[in-house]
Amino acid sequence: MALTLTCPVCGQRNGYEFRYGGEDKGPRPAEAGLTPAAWCDYVHMNKCTAGVQKEWWFHRDGCGSWFTTWRDTTKNLEVAKPEASK
Amino acid sequence: MFWKSKPLWGNKTRLKSSYDAVIIGGGLHGLATAYYLAKEHGITDVAIIEKRFIGFGGAGRNTAIVRANQRTQYNVPLYKEALDLWPVLTKELDYNLMFNNCGNLNLMHSEAAMKAARMTIATAQFHGVESHLIDAKQAKELVPALNISEDITFPIHGAMFHPPGGIVRHDAVVWGLAKGAAKHGVHIHQHTEATAIHTEDGKITGVETSRGRIHTPRVLISAGGYSAGLIYHMLGIKLPIAVLTIQAMVTQPLKPLLDHVVSSGAYHCYANQTLKGEIATGAHMDQWPNYTTQNTAHYIKHQAEALSDWLPCLRGVKFMRIWGGLADMTPDMAPIMDGNDQIEGFYMDCGWGYFGFKSCSAVGKYMAQFMASGHCPDMLKPFNLRRYENHQLMGETAALVSYTPDN
Repeated sequence: MALTLTCPVCGQRNGYEFRYGGEDKGPRPAEAGLTPAAWCDYVHMNKCTAGVQKEWWFHRDGCGSWFTTWRDTTKNLEVAKPEASK
Repeated sequence: MFWKSKPLWGNKTRLKSSYDAVIIGGGLHGLATAYYLAKEHGITDVAIIEKRFIGFGGAGRNTAIVRANQRTQYNVPLYKEALDLWPVLTKELDYNLMFNNCGNLNLMHSEAAMKAARMTIATAQFHGVESHLIDAKQAKELVPALNISEDITFPIHGAMFHPPGGIVRHDAVVWGLAKGAAKHGVHIHQHTEATAIHTEDGKITGVETSRGRIHTPRVLISAGGYSAGLIYHMLGIKLPIAVLTIQAMVTQPLKPLLDHVVSSGAYHCYANQTLKGEIATGAHMDQWPNYTTQNTAHYIKHQAEALSDWLPCLRGVKFMRIWGGLADMTPDMAPIMDGNDQIEGFYMDCGWGYFGFKSCSAVGKYMAQFMASGHCPDMLKPFNLRRYENHQLMGETAALVSYTPDN
């Protein structure tokens, strides 16, 4: 499970300094007209991609930045942003 | 040659172009469901599609512990039935599953944990499951190797003792169920990958596999940790699941010293002694989702530290083998069993986290009933997917499990 992540402020650091923040689900849905299903989708639902996914991380034991990055969940390696995301 | 030899469970079968039911995933839940479909409901035209080989995933990677001391009124009866089925299946399958009901001891390390245990025990007793609260001295009498000194990281206040639980030989369950299912006519296709599921007007019509297309009106995805990814990428149904590697290891064989399964939530560590004498032990899950099933120095060190704290006689003992498996965790730590809802003829059985092994026998029975009739049996109704959007999460965990910032 060894992992190195690139913090936008501190650069490459050991993954254990970070806290996983979930799959990137886009912006929080607007309150107006929000249905339970749409809220549940934002709060709980995941794609569970076995491969490259965009996700949030928090540099808990560091500068405290929140940032998104791309990681291959089958290899546990940070990867460059794919050319064209599916 | 291995690939020319006859499989252990029966004759090799040809992949047909149509089946009454297709089960994706040749693990314990898939095998058990196929077995009961064929045996109890007369649906024998069933194919199990397995990408690698049966028992490759969680079925062969769990630490073989079975118990029925869960927290809620919906879960306890299901696990109780699963526990009661081991001796029945041993006879029925004519295969020694090596059920050793040595009892489980869950250590409690604070007064708050003791109170939580009291509630769990009350639930168990209400449902006719034997479970008792014992103090540290009684725990020491049961497991003399236990360190009940107040001088350790998490001193032991007492324990929840659940005598009917124990250990079942997990590989034997895989082989026994495969044999049983094949005897009733089920086709088991190993090294066959399901690549797509076909639907038409909201109904299941078939499954695309690496060896050709299968026409079928019913599909079950019960692929353990891989289920959520498959269900989203094949059908676009998102699930409240995070998939994490969970690591386990065994020590060198020792003389008998542990005759119960002992676990500790505070230490994130559980251990039992196998019939070979090894101490089989497991850790908490990784801190971020991944499909690697790899071990890390971080957790090997953690296990060594935890074990040498509460089982100090193990200090200096060596780990001989290490491995990892996948746990598909839901926010309320209860599984998702649903079907015939989003898509007619589509069933799912997933989100078991690290409870898939101990539940497989009973779940196979009820999922088979579900798939045969198209109607959800009462036992499985609380486990529907819509409970999340209805905000009716189960109370299997006091605090919501979210692999997000609160992790």
